[in-house]
Amino acid sequence: MKFLNVLVEKISRFIGGAVNNFYAAARDSVDQVIKTVLPFMVFVSALIGIILGTNVGTLIANTLTPLANNVVGLLVISLICGIPILSPLLGPGAVIASVVGTLVGTQIGLGNIPPNLAVAALFAINTQVGCDFFPVDLSLSEASPKTEEIGIPSILISRWLTGPVAVLVGYVAGLGMY
Amino acid sequence: MDAIVKFVEGFFALISKGAEVFVSIAGGIIPSLLILMTIVNFIIRLIGQDKVEKAAEKLTGNIIARYMVLPFLAAFILTNPLLTIFGKFLKEYQKPGYVDAAESILHPTLGLFPHINPGEIFVYMGIAIGIEQLELSLAPLAIRAFLAGLVVILIRGTITERIMLFNMKRNGITPKDLEIEKQKIKAT
Repeated sequence: MKFLNVLVEKISRFIGGAVNNFYAAARDSVDQVIKTVLPFMVFVSALIGIILGTNVGTLIANTLTPLANNVVGLLVISLICGIPILSPLLGPGAVIASVVGTLVGTQIGLGNIPPNLAVAALFAINTQVGCDFFPVDLSLSEASPKTEEIGIPSILISRWLTGPVAVLVGYVAGLGMY
Repeated sequence: MDAIVKFVEGFFALISKGAEVFVSIAGGIIPSLLILMTIVNFIIRLIGQDKVEKAAEKLTGNIIARYMVLPFLAAFILTNPLLTIFGKFLKEYQKPGYVDAAESILHPTLGLFPHINPGEIFVYMGIAIGIEQLELSLAPLAIRAFLAGLVVILIRGTITERIMLFNMKRNGITPKDLEIEKQKIKAT
């Protein structure tokens, strides 16, 4: 009987502790979402709204596509898409990457762009990937405001440098593909 | 008068577009984010914050684990856009490199693992359709894009970390300062 008592007590203690911890975990999550994630989401949404609403995206996509038929052109595209002020504006919803991607794909299908450039093109049109979303990403990683303050410009500058590098990696990866 | 009406209409169109985007990202992300965070936080509480941090420090000690394996695993398990949550296991100065790498793996993987980012599949498919029209196999493109993606995220993560450290130095901030600030925020 005594053994049973001890057992029941142990089990209920364990469950009580687990429920407590679970509740505290949920409270922490809600806190963090309200304090850091939501504000950035509002900010990003406003930015995306402006870009989608003004049709800047399609304009840029149509300007970039003619450059895509050789490696140098792809490097130029990645340099343009990676400009630290421009990249957050081009990123939202991967709209521009999808539009340019489809246009480039059509050109590949028509034979105007060699299929071996497909991997390089994939990186070139997408240099700006995520550039609009880094504030949210960093807050999801529980970064402190100071980290965000220094980190976001660091990422954008780094992206400008690594964009063309990615195109070159893609070019090498595409050699002898078809 | 007409001009003013047009301007106001255009302005409200922008606002409603923004609101639309907000509902879609907030509605899409926040519910699953809250559940996932709660489960992760619960597990961390059960194991103990210190133990988890120590283990994470060991596991992410080198750049290949940090900027190549972790982003890909996070993308594969958590998918877009929740994958950056795993950044919480890293040091503050490593987080920018991690989110840079994590975002960059989202599209090269679409050929092999479309579940990672189904909403943005057309970044990959747009180009793949051209290959299809030439009646070539898509497999080489998918595999090569994926492997090149892994190399690219490693380069990106490493360079971003370097630039981050450089910018911190310029502002007179050490990695330790950032950790201390994070502890302070957690305490309040």
